[in-house]
Amino acid sequence: MTILEEPIKEVFTLRNYIGGEWIESEGELIDVVNPTNCRVIAKVPVSTKNEIDAAVETAKEAFLEWRRTPPVARARCLFRLKELMEERFEELSRVQTMEHGKTIDESRGETRRGIENVEVAAGMPSLMMGYNLEDIAAGIDEYLIRQPLGVFGIIGPFNFPFMVPLWFAPYAVATGNCIIVKPSSEDPISQMKIAELGEEAGFPPGVWNVVNGGRTVVSGMLDNPDIEGICFVGSTPVGRNVIYRKCGETNKRVIAQTGAKNFLLVMPDANLERTIASCMTSFYGNTGQRCLSGANLLVVGEGLDEHNYNAFYKKTVDAFVNAASKIRVGYGLDESVQMGPLRDKSKKRRVLGFIEKGIEEGAKLNLDGRNIKLVGNWPQTCFLNPSAFEDVTPDMAIGREEIFGPVASIMRAEGLDEAIEMIHSNPYGNAASIFTSSGKWAREFQYRVQCGNIGINIGIVAPMAFFPFSGMKDSFFGTLHGQGREAVRFFTESKVVIQRWF
Amino acid sequence: MGEEATCSAIISFAGKLEDDSSEFYEQLAEKFAEERETFLEFAKECRQNKLLVVRTYQETITDALEACFIKIDLHNYVAEATLRGDMRYLDVLKTAIRLEEKASRFYFDAAEQSKSLLATIPRAFRKVAERRNNRKLKLKSLLESSI
Repeated sequence: MTILEEPIKEVFTLRNYIGGEWIESEGELIDVVNPTNCRVIAKVPVSTKNEIDAAVETAKEAFLEWRRTPPVARARCLFRLKELMEERFEELSRVQTMEHGKTIDESRGETRRGIENVEVAAGMPSLMMGYNLEDIAAGIDEYLIRQPLGVFGIIGPFNFPFMVPLWFAPYAVATGNCIIVKPSSEDPISQMKIAELGEEAGFPPGVWNVVNGGRTVVSGMLDNPDIEGICFVGSTPVGRNVIYRKCGETNKRVIAQTGAKNFLLVMPDANLERTIASCMTSFYGNTGQRCLSGANLLVVGEGLDEHNYNAFYKKTVDAFVNAASKIRVGYGLDESVQMGPLRDKSKKRRVLGFIEKGIEEGAKLNLDGRNIKLVGNWPQTCFLNPSAFEDVTPDMAIGREEIFGPVASIMRAEGLDEAIEMIHSNPYGNAASIFTSSGKWAREFQYRVQCGNIGINIGIVAPMAFFPFSGMKDSFFGTLHGQGREAVRFFTESKVVIQRWF
Repeated sequence: MGEEATCSAIISFAGKLEDDSSEFYEQLAEKFAEERETFLEFAKECRQNKLLVVRTYQETITDALEACFIKIDLHNYVAEATLRGDMRYLDVLKTAIRLEEKASRFYFDAAEQSKSLLATIPRAFRKVAERRNNRKLKLKSLLESSI
C-alpha cells in the first residue's frame, strides 16, 4: 500500500479573493474535513451579504477595463493559467482527493477536464467572432458582434470541486466578463488554488473573484441587480425552485444543471466484458457522486424468449455483482484503491436510507455495501462499499430518485420500447446509455430518448470541453449550456449592426 | 499491487522503473569506462521514457475513467537494478539484460491491456517497450562480444 504524499500539511483558513486581494471574511468559520480520516484540513468562512456585495461592486468596476482588453490579450491570461495548472497538476489533483475523497486517478482526470476548458476558452478570439453580410440592400451592410455583459456568478457543487466551475469561468472571462465563484463549502480549496494561479497568470484585479460561503452568498448573487447571470450546478430542488425561478424574476441569464437518474441499457448482443468494465466506473466512479453516474442498469430482453432472457439476465447480473464486489475501497491517495469515501457522513446516511428503503420496497440486495471492507485502517464514518439491488422497478424510491452514492438498481425490460418508456417515466433527463452491437438499436435509442447526453457503448457520457454539457427535463433549467460554443453565446450579447455611408 | 492495478499505480511503477534503471546505468557508466557513452545514453533514454509515460497519462486521463483498472499484476515485473561492488562486467551485462527483459515485457503487457483506452496510451507503452527491447538486443551483443 503506497500512500502518496498529502499536499496539505496544516490546517489553514481560507480567505475570499476580491479585487485581486486575499481578504479575511467577517463570517463564521466552518471545518473542511478530509472524509477519509475525518481530519479537519482547513476552515472556510461563511461570507456575509456585505462581502458578496463588495465583490460584485469590484467586479463591476473591473469589467469596464477588462471588456476593452483585446480578446487575444485576455486569451493570453488563459494560456498562462493553463501552463500554471500543468505545472501544478499533481498538487491540484491531490488536493481534490484530500478535500473530496475521490481516488487520485479520478482527481487527475478531473484536473485534466478542467484544464481542457481553459484550453478551449483560450481560442476565444476565433470563437467569439461574429458574422457579416454585404449588400443586404443597396449600399447597406449588416454584421453581428458579440459583446460581454458584465458580472456573472458561478455556484459550484461539492462533487467536482475543481472542474465544474471551469465549465463556465474560462469562457466568461475570455469573452470579457468578470466572475464571482462561490465554491462548495464542503470542498472549497481547489477553487482557492485556481484563484491563486489566476492571480499569477495575470488576470487584472476584480476579474476573477472567489467568495466562500453558503445561502447568504447565493442569495446575495441572485438579488444583486449587477449580476447578469448565474451558472449553477447542484440539486434539482435548488436549481429549479431557487436559482431558475429567481433568475427569471430578476431577468438574469441562467444555466442550472441539476439532478439525474441515469439508465444504462444492456442489450442481448452487447459485448458483456467491456460493458461490465464500463459499468463499474459509471456506477461506482467518484463513489457514485456524479450527475452522469449510472443509476439504473436495465437488462433488456429484446428478441429473446423467456428462457434465454432469464439466462442473459442472470449472466449480466452475476458479472456485474462479481466485478462490483472486487472494487477496492479506501483512501484515494492510496494508489491501489479504486473507490473513495462519500463526501461526508450526512451523504452516507442518505445513501443508507435509500438502501433501507430498497429493502422495504421489496428489491433484492444482491451486494450489500454496508458490509464495509477497506484497504487501510480508516474510520468507517464516510465509507460504503458498492451495493447492487436486483428486481428493482421504476416506481421504487431506489429506481426513481437520485441516490448519489455507490448503489446500482438492476431492472428488467422485455424490449427496447419498454426500456425507453421506463426512461421517459423518470423526471430526469441528464444521460442515458445503451450497450449493444446493433446500429439499428443504437440509432433508435439516440433518436428517441429524451436525455441531454446519450452514450452508445459509453458508461459515462461526459461531453468534452468543446461540446456543451447538455441535459433535459428535471436535469437542466435554462436554454444554453456550459462548455464550448454554447458557453460563448451564454456569456455574450449578440448585437446586430446595419450600416450605410452616404 | 494486485491482479488489477489502477492507472496511477501503473504509472508510478513505470516511473520508479525508469528512475531505478537510470540510476543503474549511470553507475555502470562510472564503473565501466569502455561503454560509458552507451550507458549514459541508456540513462538519458530512461528519463525520456518516464517523461513520455507520465505526460501521456496526464494528458489523456479524464474524469470519465472508462475501464481505468488494468488487468496486470505488477509483482511480475519487479526486476533487480542494483550494482553490487563485487560484480564483474559480464555479470552486470546479464543483470541489465534481465532488467530490460522484465521492463519490455511490462510495457508490452501494459500496451496490450490498455488497448481499450485512448490510443495514445498503448502507443506510448509500446514505444517504450520497443526502446527497451532494442536496448536488450544491444546489451546481448555487448555480452557476446565480451565473452
